[in-house]
Amino acid sequence: MSRGLILMAICIFALASMMRGQNAFYWPDPTWRAPESAVAKPNPLAQKTWAAAGGKKLFLRNCAECHDRDGNGLVKKHSADLQLPVVQQQSDGTLFWKISNGNTGRGMPSFSKLPELERWQLVLFLRTLKPPADSHAGP
Amino acid sequence: MMTLVKCIVPLLLFTLLSVLACSAQESPYFVTYDHHMEEPGNLEIEVSSTTDVPRSGQKFYFAPWTELEYGVTARWTSELYLEGQSTWGDSTIFTGWRLENRFRPLKREHWINPVLYLEYENLNEASRIQKEIEGEAPDVSSPNSVLRAEKDRELESKLILSSDTHDWNLAGNFIVAKNFSQSEGVEFGYSFGFSRPLATLASGSNCRFCRENFSAGMEIYGGLGSTLGFGFNDTAQYAAPVFAWLISDNATLRFSPGVGLTHASSPVLFRFGYSYEIPSIGSKLSHLLGGKR
Repeated sequence: MSRGLILMAICIFALASMMRGQNAFYWPDPTWRAPESAVAKPNPLAQKTWAAAGGKKLFLRNCAECHDRDGNGLVKKHSADLQLPVVQQQSDGTLFWKISNGNTGRGMPSFSKLPELERWQLVLFLRTLKPPADSHAGP
Repeated sequence: MMTLVKCIVPLLLFTLLSVLACSAQESPYFVTYDHHMEEPGNLEIEVSSTTDVPRSGQKFYFAPWTELEYGVTARWTSELYLEGQSTWGDSTIFTGWRLENRFRPLKREHWINPVLYLEYENLNEASRIQKEIEGEAPDVSSPNSVLRAEKDRELESKLILSSDTHDWNLAGNFIVAKNFSQSEGVEFGYSFGFSRPLATLASGSNCRFCRENFSAGMEIYGGLGSTLGFGFNDTAQYAAPVFAWLISDNATLRFSPGVGLTHASSPVLFRFGYSYEIPSIGSKLSHLLGGKR
């Protein structure tokens, strides 16, 4: 009995740690997939890490309203937690494609109105989003 | 024809030079629509005006309008217009309202992105904002007392085709309008536009005068007659450079000096616009009324 309680407590603690700072209501859309040609696209600004500062400015202007200032999503908006590994494990090309095309069925608008390099700057900034040090992010 | 070429060529050169010399995110167009919709839940309030330099015998006017644009979904934007005009030595009047809806049928970005547009107008013939031009040129000589008595209830549809390519936006609108108040047949019009931001890389600083906050372009628009007489006869045609400045994260200032290309056009049309975007207006209102955010 006591072993079961300890196990349950560990599970609850682990789950709570995973969810800390994240939008627990975010549910990735499995149908929102970038085509192969887009997945493989490299970020032309990958070596220009200084450009992430511009990406942050663009993120705060265009994305923070739904994804929150630190990218962990807003429950009310059902927006993606951009710190999650399920997002961070995607290629630069995939993130670029998703920013460019949006997922209009789920409320994510297309940001193709931004110049191409600015969208790559956003990708660069997304890579700097990390969950708080004491949390263990999981999908 | 030579006059037309003489007007267009310098305007095109000027616009191209200013665009290449430097590239904002809000569309700088006044007349042409592109495929970018209002973000869902956001409300954009825009105050704009049209002023012209009159021909001899005509009076100077100032026609302001207010536009409330709401993003219903990521693919559906709805707008309400309230407009009026003031004519020098005549009167200041309310000229009516418009309700428009834009719907984007395709989910993803394509080389050419179509948008369907439907608008109901409840105006009178004194309307001067010239937000779109279709059919023959408007009557700008008769007094307001006469024009305001003439109703202009119209259903207007547009096919908007727009493309973003290499940081340029290219857009074309094809207009079909039917006035239910008068027997003018079905009227046609068009507008084309291209624009580009003056810089394509955002700086890290919060500067307001950085090139990335400016965009420039050009619009060409006019009427194409009606089913009673199709063509350019007695139609108004304009070529207009357009400029936009993102003055804060939520506000944009726009300016466009249009040049009339036909005798029925005003020699010069000046347009100014200021827009302010309120993100997630619904949750802000609910918060104001004491609800949870």
